[in-house]
Amino acid sequence: MSPPAAGAAATSGDGPPSSPRELYTIPASSGWFRWDGIHETERRALPEFFGGAGGAGFGTATRNPRIYREYRDFIIARYREDPARRLTFTEVRRALVGDVTLLRKLFAFLDASGLINFSASSSSSGTASRQQEVGVVVEAPVGLQVTPRPPASYFAEEKRGGAGEERENGFRLPPLTSYSDVFGEWTPGKVPICGFCGEECNDEKFETLQDGFKVCSKCSKSNNDNKEEGNKCPGDKKESVDNHASSAWTDAETLLLLEGVLKHGDDWDLIAQHVRTKNKSECIARLIQLPFGEHMLGTINGKSVSRLHMNQATDGKMNQHITKESSSHSTEMVDGMQIDGNEDSADKSVEEHPPTKRRRLFSSMDATASLMEKLALLTTSSSPDVVAAAADAAIKALGNENPQARKAFRLSEREFKTKAFASNHAQQIDHKVGNKDVEMHGRTGSDKKQEKKFIANAYQVRAAVATAIGVAAARAKMLADQEEREMELLMASIIETQLRKMQYKIKHYEELELVMEQEHATSQQVKGSLVNEWLKVLEQAFRTGVSLPRDELLIKLFLNQSTA
Amino acid sequence: MKTVSLGASRPSTVNFRMPTRDNLVPIRVDIEVDGQRYRDAFTWNPRDPDSEIISFAKRTAKDLKLPANFVPQMLQSIQGQLAEFRSYEGQEMQIKEKIVPLKIDLRVNNTVIRDQFLWDIGNLDSDPEEFARTLCDDLNITDPEVGPAIAVSIREQLYEIASQSVSVMREKQLSKKGRRAPEFSSNSKAVNNAVDLFKYFGSKGSVIRKRKEWYLYEPVVDVVANEEDGKEEPNNSSRPKKRAEEEKVASLQSL
Repeated sequence: MSPPAAGAAATSGDGPPSSPRELYTIPASSGWFRWDGIHETERRALPEFFGGAGGAGFGTATRNPRIYREYRDFIIARYREDPARRLTFTEVRRALVGDVTLLRKLFAFLDASGLINFSASSSSSGTASRQQEVGVVVEAPVGLQVTPRPPASYFAEEKRGGAGEERENGFRLPPLTSYSDVFGEWTPGKVPICGFCGEECNDEKFETLQDGFKVCSKCSKSNNDNKEEGNKCPGDKKESVDNHASSAWTDAETLLLLEGVLKHGDDWDLIAQHVRTKNKSECIARLIQLPFGEHMLGTINGKSVSRLHMNQATDGKMNQHITKESSSHSTEMVDGMQIDGNEDSADKSVEEHPPTKRRRLFSSMDATASLMEKLALLTTSSSPDVVAAAADAAIKALGNENPQARKAFRLSEREFKTKAFASNHAQQIDHKVGNKDVEMHGRTGSDKKQEKKFIANAYQVRAAVATAIGVAAARAKMLADQEEREMELLMASIIETQLRKMQYKIKHYEELELVMEQEHATSQQVKGSLVNEWLKVLEQAFRTGVSLPRDELLIKLFLNQSTA
Repeated sequence: MKTVSLGASRPSTVNFRMPTRDNLVPIRVDIEVDGQRYRDAFTWNPRDPDSEIISFAKRTAKDLKLPANFVPQMLQSIQGQLAEFRSYEGQEMQIKEKIVPLKIDLRVNNTVIRDQFLWDIGNLDSDPEEFARTLCDDLNITDPEVGPAIAVSIREQLYEIASQSVSVMREKQLSKKGRRAPEFSSNSKAVNNAVDLFKYFGSKGSVIRKRKEWYLYEPVVDVVANEEDGKEEPNNSSRPKKRAEEEKVASLQSL
């Protein structure tokens, strides 16, 4: 309800019941109200009284404008006897003859429009001015008092409109209940819910991990795939399951994590302390996996950062792990011709960290891992030339962006040149990453070099990603071109077919026309012969002097024909 | 202002239904098994599949901790009443404006409520539940069972009137004489003495009731002390909560 507008005061001087002039406050939105008329708003709101929908026609005995005004005026006058008091429908209806349903609608309308009960709630201000002598003296309502509405409505409104209408067309939907059973037993225990995919495991096969975490058969299969993948890396076979269990985040932990992020920004040590049950990298990985993780970090850091950027910015260690990931990947992908030492050192680099940690990272870093895989796949799916070009472009761009990166790449380039990688052009990038990783490991002993390596690796990863994306873009472009060509080809063939169709049609019509012409000629001939025959007949008739009974008719017909 | 010719509104015939907005049937169950008595009243949507009745009966018995042999009886009772309603459904009934006084005289738990008001049975937009809710709001009745009880009571009366109008229609059709004036047929049964429309709604009448009649159409609420109840219902030992006029609208239906 709008606040009481000062100007919107209806004087009831000409109003029927209360004769002295009084000032009443009604909301500005109800300024249309007049004692001596019925406004369009009222007609629209209560069409029953005015022959609209819902009413049984215009002139019914109990519903017409006169009755409406009588009701309305009474209710309003009744309220104005004591504007500070809330008028209730129950009080009103005892004094009015009529259908309570209709009366209630009318009452609700007046109530909603503020014509009654408007200043009832803000009674304190009105009490001072309200005590004026009123024309009608009414006894105090029995058993009624000013009450606030009970807040809880104890039975919900039933909305089942149209349910009662019988469909005439014979088609009926299968019967459905008209209610939803909120009191039904909820049986979450009956069907276990998979902790990974969140779906109900309908079949009996599901595994329960140590901490009561249920995994359905589908997920556990893919889980095993993960394990197999993991088994290729020596030393982390056993931990894989345990870490899967412990890497599952509960809602409470996630909440703690979010709290920590909000409180500490990107100080991951503090955040990990806040979460307590998880370590730093797990927290980071989790935040990345959360659908809004990047967005949150972006707002915290004051700039929007891409996922890899963020990794780099927040924790250099992450990069290291990712690099490890890619390096191990590359070693997996390399065929038997690969240098043995390469693989050894790759393993060594893996084992540098405690296997559990690495594995955990792997499992919880699924998104990143699959990204790298995808990148590798993308890279291999295109021709070597494209890859090389893309790699060049990526490195150049990175170099322009950051001189340090250029340095790092120049360094690695030199190393790269010393190595022979005649074959496997396609995997060049991955090899490069892996090899450099290895080379660095082999060569650098001091901590300083190690530090440098991390930076270099970071740029290499970025280069690899950029390359892969570039390749993918190139490939997509190629595919698009091809598609376009194909589309053109198809379009041309369609047009050609259409043309041929048109030609056939034209031919057909020509034939038809010929046939029509022939028929026309024959019909003309027949017409001529008919005329001749008639002439003969008439001649004969004249000659004999016998008038045919249908003479006139025939002549008329003949004349008509000839004129036509 | 226009003068409106009085006279009955054009009656229209529709297939039988509750003369309310929601076509809900009032159901009253009163069964006794092994000395235990179960009384209840609620509304039911006749469009609901019948398979819902059994689940409702089971649920009710479980909620009220009734023995299982109540269930078949409840089922029977509900199904019987629904079958009766459906037997009317194929027939036609006349919908025309007819304002009848409805009376409420209920005792729900500790609340006794008496009331009388006018109801237009030709108004297919009426909503007993909403009316009952408004009443309880206005009177500040907090017992949540009162409102539904009032609504069911209204529905029962409407149901009776509607079913009578159906049988009147049938009678008229059967005795093809057509001599029965509509007034006569409507008075033939105990169809409530409809309000004389002319008296109040005519150009000389007034819809404002005489002041001395107000008390007739005013709800009266009494709160009865608890001690009385024990005396009234000696055979209800196992279920002290259910009392004479206690009614309960199935929470299912009102959701």
